[in-house]
Amino acid sequence: MARTQPSPLVHDLQAALGIEAVLFEPEDLLPYEFDSSIDRSAPDVVVLPRTTEEVAAAARIAEEHHVPVVPRGSGTGFAGGAVAVMGGLLVVLTRMNAIREIDAANRLAVVEPGVINLDLQDALSSFGLLYAPDPSSQRICTIGGNVGTNSGGPHTLAHGSTVNHVLGLEVVLPGGSVVNLGSRQVDAPGIDLRGLFVGSEGTLGIVTAITVRLIRENEAIRTMLAIFSTVDEASNAVSEVIRRRVVPMAMEMLDQETIRVVEPRVNAGYPLDAGAVLLMEVEGLVEAVDQDSEIVIEACKSQGARDIRIARTAEEREALWEGRKSAIGALGHTAPALYLLDGVVPRSRLPEVLHQVLGLSREYGFKCANMFHAGDGNLHPTVLFDPEEEGATERVLQLGGEIMKLCVDAGGSITGEHGIGTEKREYMDWIFSEADLEAMSSVRLAFDPTGRFNPCKILPTGHGCAQGHFEPIKRKLGPGIYV
Amino acid sequence: MTSTFSTPGDFEKKPTSGRERDVDRDDLEDLLGVLSAGTERPPEQYMCDGVSPIMAARPSSVSELAEILLVANQRNLAVMPQGGRTALTLGRPLTHYDLALDTTALNRVLDYAPEDLTITVEAGITLKLLQESLAEQGQYLPIDPPPGDQVTIGGLLATARSGAWRGHLPAARDLILGATVASPDGSLTRSGGRVVKNVSGYDMHRMHTGALGTLGVIVEASFKLSPLPAAVSSFAIVCSSLSRAGTVACEIWDRNLATRAITILDSKTSAILDCGDVATVLVEFAASESVVVRSEETLREILRDYDMSAEHIGNDIWAQIRSLTHRDGIDTVIRAGVPASEVSGFIDHMEIIDGPSWGHVAAGSVWSCPNVNAQTLLGLRVVAERLGGFLQLESGSKSLREVVDPFGVSDAGLTDSLKSQFDPRSTLNPGKWKAVST
Ligand SMILES: Cc1cc2nc3c(=O)[nH]c(=O)nc-3n(C[C@H](O)[C@H](O)[C@H](O)COP(=O)(O)OP(=O)(O)OC[C@H]3O[C@@H](n4cnc5c(N)ncnc54)[C@H](O)[C@@H]3O)c2cc1C
Ligand SMILES: Cc1cc2nc3c(=O)[nH]c(=O)nc-3n(C[C@H](O)[C@H](O)[C@H](O)COP(=O)(O)OP(=O)(O)OC[C@H]3O[C@@H](n4cnc5c(N)ncnc54)[C@H](O)[C@@H]3O)c2cc1C
Repeated sequence: MARTQPSPLVHDLQAALGIEAVLFEPEDLLPYEFDSSIDRSAPDVVVLPRTTEEVAAAARIAEEHHVPVVPRGSGTGFAGGAVAVMGGLLVVLTRMNAIREIDAANRLAVVEPGVINLDLQDALSSFGLLYAPDPSSQRICTIGGNVGTNSGGPHTLAHGSTVNHVLGLEVVLPGGSVVNLGSRQVDAPGIDLRGLFVGSEGTLGIVTAITVRLIRENEAIRTMLAIFSTVDEASNAVSEVIRRRVVPMAMEMLDQETIRVVEPRVNAGYPLDAGAVLLMEVEGLVEAVDQDSEIVIEACKSQGARDIRIARTAEEREALWEGRKSAIGALGHTAPALYLLDGVVPRSRLPEVLHQVLGLSREYGFKCANMFHAGDGNLHPTVLFDPEEEGATERVLQLGGEIMKLCVDAGGSITGEHGIGTEKREYMDWIFSEADLEAMSSVRLAFDPTGRFNPCKILPTGHGCAQGHFEPIKRKLGPGIYV
Repeated sequence: MTSTFSTPGDFEKKPTSGRERDVDRDDLEDLLGVLSAGTERPPEQYMCDGVSPIMAARPSSVSELAEILLVANQRNLAVMPQGGRTALTLGRPLTHYDLALDTTALNRVLDYAPEDLTITVEAGITLKLLQESLAEQGQYLPIDPPPGDQVTIGGLLATARSGAWRGHLPAARDLILGATVASPDGSLTRSGGRVVKNVSGYDMHRMHTGALGTLGVIVEASFKLSPLPAAVSSFAIVCSSLSRAGTVACEIWDRNLATRAITILDSKTSAILDCGDVATVLVEFAASESVVVRSEETLREILRDYDMSAEHIGNDIWAQIRSLTHRDGIDTVIRAGVPASEVSGFIDHMEIIDGPSWGHVAAGSVWSCPNVNAQTLLGLRVVAERLGGFLQLESGSKSLREVVDPFGVSDAGLTDSLKSQFDPRSTLNPGKWKAVST
């Protein structure tokens, strides 16, 4: 029995989607108040649609009732994108989780937005195919969320981000009309609305189906771990590999702070006395793999690598990756809370920026661990702190801002894959002019004239956004979650 | 002198922009005022669809371009940005054409960081010049050469072009990291950045990709680069039928060799390219020496099973394919997007028409220079759409482009909404998207 009297909004939603698809009791809303960011705010209603038509009906009803609409996948986003900061209707897409089609001959698949990234990968493996974007959260995040944030992963270095692998999108626009952007083929005519939509963090519409491009598994793959005494050496090795004209599939770095936490828990084989390790992977025809790994090894040695280990079996490869993938989970056990940052610098600036990041963290009195996509220059400084400690959260946020400034000063960006959301709205004018931001507002207006979709996200302006509802929360990521 | 159109009667159809006006050269005084010496060009060199603009400008700096655009917008002039001028007839004929805005003097490399594999250039630089400067560092922008040496970066972004390498390698829309765009309101706006990974704000550079210069003029762009392959090698496989060509081509694609192109030619195209008079599959490998050798070995193994063979041919075959659309007497050019497995079937379907057809398998793109009327063209579009694809009229006579929608996309009015946000006075390429007569 409902204890809360259903509002007219709830009533209309129930009529369109069925009673069990609509949540509005405060305790039912609780799990939907936050994502993996530090923001928290309750929606007024949550709907769990099963079809495109239901999503469209929900969007129409929200429009009639003049309430904000926030799309949500698994809520693993780090930028607060899936938090209903102005309340309103949260559209949770996790029930739309069918893989509608796998067309192996033409290397494409059509999936609903709630499909978990890894579930798609698993479904493809028997075809010898891959969906390239592999965010470290792939065991829990949705493809819809990946489209929302234009997710990357370790293999982005060679294959690019989500946008490079989305062929077409079915989208419910604000107001409830359904439109197809892109196609089942590459290079559809007209303005690249597909490309514009990917990474728009739920502000331009709700994705209800995604046509993704698949790639064929390679004949051979080699995973290597290069061990260095210092982060500097490891960073220089990254540039050296590229200088020698090899772009590996992945180049991930873990620093000493991370290794010391991860290794005892995971037994990945990272030496505890290493200053940094580089986890690298080359793929292709056997001949290419032999050649490229030789060049990679030489390049690492030239920059002072102490040792280079090569995975001889699939199990060894898994173990090396497990260390990387469990890093954030392992770090979560060492401190009451983590603040995981996401910034990008030109890869040739990695050594100096990493130095500065570590220096700043020391100044602030925090431990900072680094495990990141070194080949892309995509940093993830992870600050360990205790939110119960007086003023700690504020100081961590301040440190985060300063680290972002370092990235900007080095010619980089304030986010490589996690998005702007609410977290980095205020930093947007560090990299964009007023005119740039105004042009971005124009994009938003073209899709959503009333600004009802995911308000207060991405752009630093917005009616009533200034005050925010931001209540830092204490969070620990569970086992099996990794970054 | 008044703005005139070559074919009388053009104005019987109502321009969609709703801007009915005659502009006189004398009206352009304030525009002339912002031009620096040497910027003004002879308008007759900028004809399009038989129409000369009233004026042509070739600005020598980004700020000059922005200023010209602003004044033109204030004066309600119709502006056609242009670079290499190889694809001006893609889209509807313009309803007005007053000012040609030539970007080719904006041709500088602004920031090249070989160690980061990134580059930022002005948009009027030709792809050819860009590749030449990158080759010195053993790098390249992995986009296959377009039909003409004069093709500019701005033009290839605005048309979102791709060729035989597409599907094996990324396209311009994938390689772009950020851009600066001049808007009709005179502002210069930036999106993205210069680093290889970036998700800050809307990717407006992707919006301008394929926008045909209707939302703004791209003045700068940053790209991700690749190392140049050490070896390139091409092969021709003569096939007894198109369907056999399709089967073999898909099998080669499926093997993940060092392929950079797999293209099926119909018999007419084969004949034009001196590849015999039956269907042919062309394959290009690009990688290190040993990987190319290994790819060739595997190719020959695959073909043995089909009782077929591959002949080594010169790499210049690809340039010949690219110039197929630009031979004398070619008027209509179409490009269909179909599933890879349907490329040969679609080409086969095109046999009913007069003219050569060829298709790049990995991209599922079929090109053709057909001699057809509007009705046949629309019929072909239906066939492509039934296969889940599309058909774009890449080029055609003015009269054909007046009756046939070159694009065939429905987008719930989003293109129009963006146009009214970014170019409310319809200054840039007015009428490009819309039917003149509807
Ligand atoms: C442990 C951990 C590791 C991570 N590792 C990575 C990584 O390696 N790379 C990376 O890029 N990210 C990573 N992330 C961040 C996060 O997983 C990604 O951003 C992911 O894409 C979010 O997916 P989600 O389903 O959780 O989306 P949510 O968090 O629910 O939503 C993310 C954004 O997308 C929007 N959205 C969601 N669904 C839709 C839809 N159907 N239509 C329109 N908009 C929608 C939301 O409004 C929101 O703005 C990690 C997160 C965690 C917790
Ligand atoms: C008949 C035909 C055949 C073709 N065949 C092939 C082929 O076989 N293979 C292939 O790969 N490509 C092909 N193309 C594509 C064509 O060559 C490319 O699209 C080319 O990149 C255009 O560049 P450009 O500098 O010549 O642009 P232009 O022709 O000068 O301009 C093209 C369009 O872009 C706009 N534009 C130009 N510069 C800018 C700018 N800086 N900012 C905003 N808008 C701008 C113009 O207003 C115009 O709408 C073909 C095109 C045509 C018309």
